[in-house]
Amino acid sequence: MSAAKNVKRVPTLCYNCVSGPDFMKVKVEDGIATEIEPNFDAQDVHPAHGRVCVKAYGLVQKTYNPNRILTPMKRTNPKKGRDEDPLFAPISWDEALDIVAARLKSIRAKGQVDESGLPRLAVSFGHGGTPANYMGSFPAFLAAWGPIDYSFGSGQGVKCVHSEHLYGEFWHRAFTVAADTPNTRYIISLGANVEVTGGPCAVTRHADARVRGYKRVHVEPHLSITGACSAEWVPIRPKTDPAFLFALIHVLLHEHGLAKLDIAFLRDRTASPYLVGPDGLYLRDFVSGKPLAWDEATGQAVAFDTPGIVLAVDGRYRVAKAATVDADAARCEYSNVEGATAYRMLVDHVARYTPEWAAGICDVPAATIRRIAGEYLEAASIGATIEIDGKTLAFRPVAVTLGKSVNNGWGAFECCWSRTVLAALVGALESPGGTLGTTVRVNRPQDNRHLSVKPGEDGFMAQHFNPTGSNSWRPVPETRNLHSTLVPIVGRNGGWSQALGPTQLAWMFQENTPADWTMPKPTYPEMWIVYRSNPSISFWESRRLVDAAARFPFMVAFAYTVDETNYMADLLLPEASDLESTQVIRMGATKYMEQFWDCHGVVLRQAAVAPQGEARDFTWITTELAKRTGLLPEYIAALNRGIAGVSALKGKDYDYSLDPATPPEPDQIWDSVCRAATMTLSDGKEEHGLDWYKEHGFYAVPTSRLEWYLTPTMEKQGLRYELPYQERLLRIGRELGNRLHEQKMHWWDEQLSEYVALPVWDNVPARWERELVNSGARIEDFPFWLLTTKSMQYHAGGNAAIAMMHEISENVRGNTGVIINADTAAELGIAEGDRVEVRSHVGATYGKASLTQGMRPDTLVIVGQFDHWATPFAKDTERASLNTIAPMSLELTDATGSGADIVRVAVRRMARGAA
Amino acid sequence: MNKSRNIGDRTLPRQQRNWDGRAAANFICGGAGGGLLLATALASGRGADLRPLLVVALALVGIGLLAVWLEIGRPWRALNVYLNAATSWMTREAMIAPLLFASGAVAILFNWPAAFWVAGLLGLVYVYCQACMLHANKGIPAWRHASCIGVVVTTDMVEGAGLLCVAALVWPGLVFFGILLAALLAVRWLAWRKYLASLRNAGVPTATSQVLNALDVRFVWLGHAAPAALGLVGGLAGLPLLAMLAGILAAAAGGWFKYTLVCRAAFTQGFALPRTPSRGQSKAGLGVQPGWNRVRPI
Amino acid sequence: MSTRFAMAIDLRRCVGCQTCTAACKSANATPPGVQWRRVLDIEDGRFPDVSRTFLPVACMHCANPPCMHVCPTTATKQREDGLVTIDYDLCIGCSNCIMACPYDARSIEHTPHYAYGEPMQSETARFDPDRLSVATKCTFCKDRLDLAAVTGQTPGVDPEVTPACVNSCISGAMHFGDVNDPDSNISMLLGGTQHFRMHEELGTDPSVYYIWDGAKNGADA
Repeated sequence: MSAAKNVKRVPTLCYNCVSGPDFMKVKVEDGIATEIEPNFDAQDVHPAHGRVCVKAYGLVQKTYNPNRILTPMKRTNPKKGRDEDPLFAPISWDEALDIVAARLKSIRAKGQVDESGLPRLAVSFGHGGTPANYMGSFPAFLAAWGPIDYSFGSGQGVKCVHSEHLYGEFWHRAFTVAADTPNTRYIISLGANVEVTGGPCAVTRHADARVRGYKRVHVEPHLSITGACSAEWVPIRPKTDPAFLFALIHVLLHEHGLAKLDIAFLRDRTASPYLVGPDGLYLRDFVSGKPLAWDEATGQAVAFDTPGIVLAVDGRYRVAKAATVDADAARCEYSNVEGATAYRMLVDHVARYTPEWAAGICDVPAATIRRIAGEYLEAASIGATIEIDGKTLAFRPVAVTLGKSVNNGWGAFECCWSRTVLAALVGALESPGGTLGTTVRVNRPQDNRHLSVKPGEDGFMAQHFNPTGSNSWRPVPETRNLHSTLVPIVGRNGGWSQALGPTQLAWMFQENTPADWTMPKPTYPEMWIVYRSNPSISFWESRRLVDAAARFPFMVAFAYTVDETNYMADLLLPEASDLESTQVIRMGATKYMEQFWDCHGVVLRQAAVAPQGEARDFTWITTELAKRTGLLPEYIAALNRGIAGVSALKGKDYDYSLDPATPPEPDQIWDSVCRAATMTLSDGKEEHGLDWYKEHGFYAVPTSRLEWYLTPTMEKQGLRYELPYQERLLRIGRELGNRLHEQKMHWWDEQLSEYVALPVWDNVPARWERELVNSGARIEDFPFWLLTTKSMQYHAGGNAAIAMMHEISENVRGNTGVIINADTAAELGIAEGDRVEVRSHVGATYGKASLTQGMRPDTLVIVGQFDHWATPFAKDTERASLNTIAPMSLELTDATGSGADIVRVAVRRMARGAA
Repeated sequence: MNKSRNIGDRTLPRQQRNWDGRAAANFICGGAGGGLLLATALASGRGADLRPLLVVALALVGIGLLAVWLEIGRPWRALNVYLNAATSWMTREAMIAPLLFASGAVAILFNWPAAFWVAGLLGLVYVYCQACMLHANKGIPAWRHASCIGVVVTTDMVEGAGLLCVAALVWPGLVFFGILLAALLAVRWLAWRKYLASLRNAGVPTATSQVLNALDVRFVWLGHAAPAALGLVGGLAGLPLLAMLAGILAAAAGGWFKYTLVCRAAFTQGFALPRTPSRGQSKAGLGVQPGWNRVRPI
Repeated sequence: MSTRFAMAIDLRRCVGCQTCTAACKSANATPPGVQWRRVLDIEDGRFPDVSRTFLPVACMHCANPPCMHVCPTTATKQREDGLVTIDYDLCIGCSNCIMACPYDARSIEHTPHYAYGEPMQSETARFDPDRLSVATKCTFCKDRLDLAAVTGQTPGVDPEVTPACVNSCISGAMHFGDVNDPDSNISMLLGGTQHFRMHEELGTDPSVYYIWDGAKNGADA
């Protein structure tokens, strides 16, 4: 082996999962990528000091994988189905692009929206918006196009931390929620497996916190990685987390009492003092309509924002005159009416949720619940302060974090509410050390959640719910998942709002709509584009979804390899992959998971090596499509506005805008983007083009750590968090119900039950049991709970086809199969490594038993999302998947449209090869 | 490392697989051959021409070395084996081998009694080197006790005496070595018990003790009691058939023992944590040593 | 006092992510199935009192290496700075060292293996026939350490001259440096924490320290 003659180390990034971006360098020897390394040039700007996680080390294999699609392919077998070989044949880019453009032009000619009011073009992207970091200028083309249906999900939105996304943004502009890990001292983590999914930033910070001596109590049915790395593991019964959290609130309110809580925060930053009338609505000023509160100084009920008052947090008070406003502006007037403060309503509401009550439901001892509540309260250090960038802020180093299956699906609203209330009770909501939101996606602007805080009604932030009034509600859905019709809280922020709707409904209603459906029938999209997404693996009841996808008229898939979804495609287009293409993206400030930095800026992903085969840079593909579809001017206008870039390409000090008449080369686009971004970040002082970024990799400017905390912004604007009483949600739910019932539809009624002012315990696990029985099965045939969990090696990386990930993931317990409690396995005659069948009322999946003591005896866990049958390499490793056997069900869909990865199953040992 | 899909296999002691039947053949054949050289030396000078036994002995040693040569990764560099006489028992074994062949050849060609004895003593040194090779391998708990040297060397001697007894069918005068065989079996039984005791005292992978315990009863009865009785009676009564049976049993049992030692009881050390780490405010835990029958790791 | 390179691995931090496993494979182009460094996942206890520890293991570069003593060819040697090395050109692939190592650190591959059957460009570019049929193991990235003598950088402080696994560790668990220098990062870290070395009772004097807690008196490192 002779030494390479030309060796370079190319700075770039990895953003394959939502916990990025993280930095790396690619070692290239004589034009071949050989190694991945951290990029320590970034160690002072990046919370993980320039390091990248295990997944990125598989990118060399990803580049040279012999199973890659390296030329455009056209389907030659007109029949589609799991058993129909597509017989893909290679074609030229010219032919491929002409096919796509012709189809798009015909859609434009017919009208972009069809007879049912639905877009003819549907587009699906994968994992949490991360494909946007790899699709070059494609967002600009999509913006130029017009109406698009993004609602055929691949799991994101519904399998994601879905309720947390929506309610988190609602309560505290928290699309994702994290602990202030660098400062916190006590975390109650309910299934937040952050050591697996939080990326290098979270892993670094929590490791530092462990050494610093923080305490994390991890509550989860199995001993996940985070459970292992925590001070205490509480093996809770699946889907009983609301009861656990309610009991914690009970202990704080009933056994410790208001005097020990953060009274000032409750009084000034929440709606705790607002008076609630006998009809469960705020008592409002007769004239102004403002919610009333009790002024202790004057002994009167006054509008909450009256200057100079001292509001009572607790108590019941007689109000001489008040009005309440219900759904559809229905006004009720009262005189001499008793109002209880929202805080008092909360106290009374949780009186029955004692630790003893919760113990029976959760299978967690009452003493443990009581102790944890006490530890949380003590660690909250009410009264303590800290100085951040010259400002003195309240220091409350406690947080409650939630993970998937806790913050999505039925019971998630209760958990998200509880967690946020627990933060508010001790003043830790959006305070240093406490529970923080990290970004917004439903509100704008997306890159600065502080700027999304504007005064709204009743002293709260302005919210942008989809209207539910009788004149403003849209009875005809705009998308196939009915997001703006059914889920007011998703708002109107383009593709994000769509993706956050109930994406499984888009799939389900293609087959059958409910019996009392009175809206236009959902149509198939005429064209479906898929990128970095494999819904036929990553969504529930995957076999059913495969059949649904097979019926779509025309699918274009940007393809890495053949997979279970693009098996139904009409065209495969190979885009240049991670190490082969160019794009500039934002970094820093505050973003998903624990990506909150002390600086912000932009970072370049650049081609370390030339694309393999005929793969082409996505930006080149996009520009060609724009040209051939006749949308070039609109496309360039979108680029000039800053879509697919970072800043607008023309600002007050600069003009790097592109000529609308000339198709730009990819490098030209990114050069303009680089220059515009640098000028914006440096306030016009510095200008750096693509060549500079290719050498330096990134550009950063400092951000104040005050950006991490929303409470100072709320204080400055005199706003309150809309807690603990959800009066607005109650009214919206009633309005939505009125609208649906006016249309004679009742199929969403169960979901309407989630719109309550104070969440109740509503036997969450029983919903899954009922659904099973309603499907005609018997609960006793399925005695176990099946959950899923992630592994860092596979988390969202699309790494199923990467041999090295497969090899090293097997060092981690459970990655080889179905994780089962060792004693349960012994009772069933199952030994380590035995092939087992895991069966639900929907189907069966197969894998090898992995025995452990770190598992509840009544629970099984399958890692990740596998069960491939088309993806090369992956299809030859028999790995089970919950997705194969979890039902897509309206009954299991909650009000925000989310579901959870949980299903009742049976397990038995199988002979090798048997099914 | 263990590439098994069973996670426990990756953390537990594993049966080593790099030294397979070919390496075992070296210990089995080389040990028996070395033992036979010494036994032949003892039996020489009483009139019978025992040179064919030397041929058999050298052939056994040669088969063992050939088997090893077929097993190593770079056979054409085999002569590098001579580079570390300072510490390596494998080097020393390789150094003895040509001397052993030379003295054996001289004895075969010239029938000099002195050459028989030189070959015989070199045979003893050869088997000692082999036993020390095992003992030096600290990665295999079943091998690294000093008592392992004793049980391997005495086994080699037993095999040598056993093969001599088998030769009583050709040279009936050798039948009296059945008594020597019985005596050596008694010594080997003591060495075996001492070996098992030292494993128990020091601790050993559970899998190793399972394999050795499974072997124990049959080894004691078929590998000691039966051949000792047959050899004693045969030797005292002058019955070559009994002596031969004793020899076959003794040699076969010895070979089976060495195969078990190398290929079935040779579990690796595995991994041990004297303490498990604290995580934030949790206390560090007690130690863990997967796959060992110790209450606490050392 | 002469240099002795050592590694400290903080088990309080390790999350078993296998990033170091992957970084080592990336840096050293080990074939499929060969992991010079890997992270074990060790469970103990009975439900619900269960612990789970993540344990990165590789060659311990012992000061008293049993592999070196048994090696018949002197292919395995020990450097002044403590590194235990293998001269692939001398090794005859007898596997004696594999038996001798109580840390399961060594492996030997007799035939070329590739991730997807046929070699990819990246595998062809790095294939080294000298590493077939001989013993191989973690080298503490000795080429990077040797670079330090040329550049004047400090192993364990400057990434270019630090082992790839240490550089890659996203939890900050892995540290490296001269344990004979009382002022080195690793010496300071070990001075402020409680740690063990594996299988110390076998007398190998390994150069890898596993940290399991802060200092006894409560002062954290």
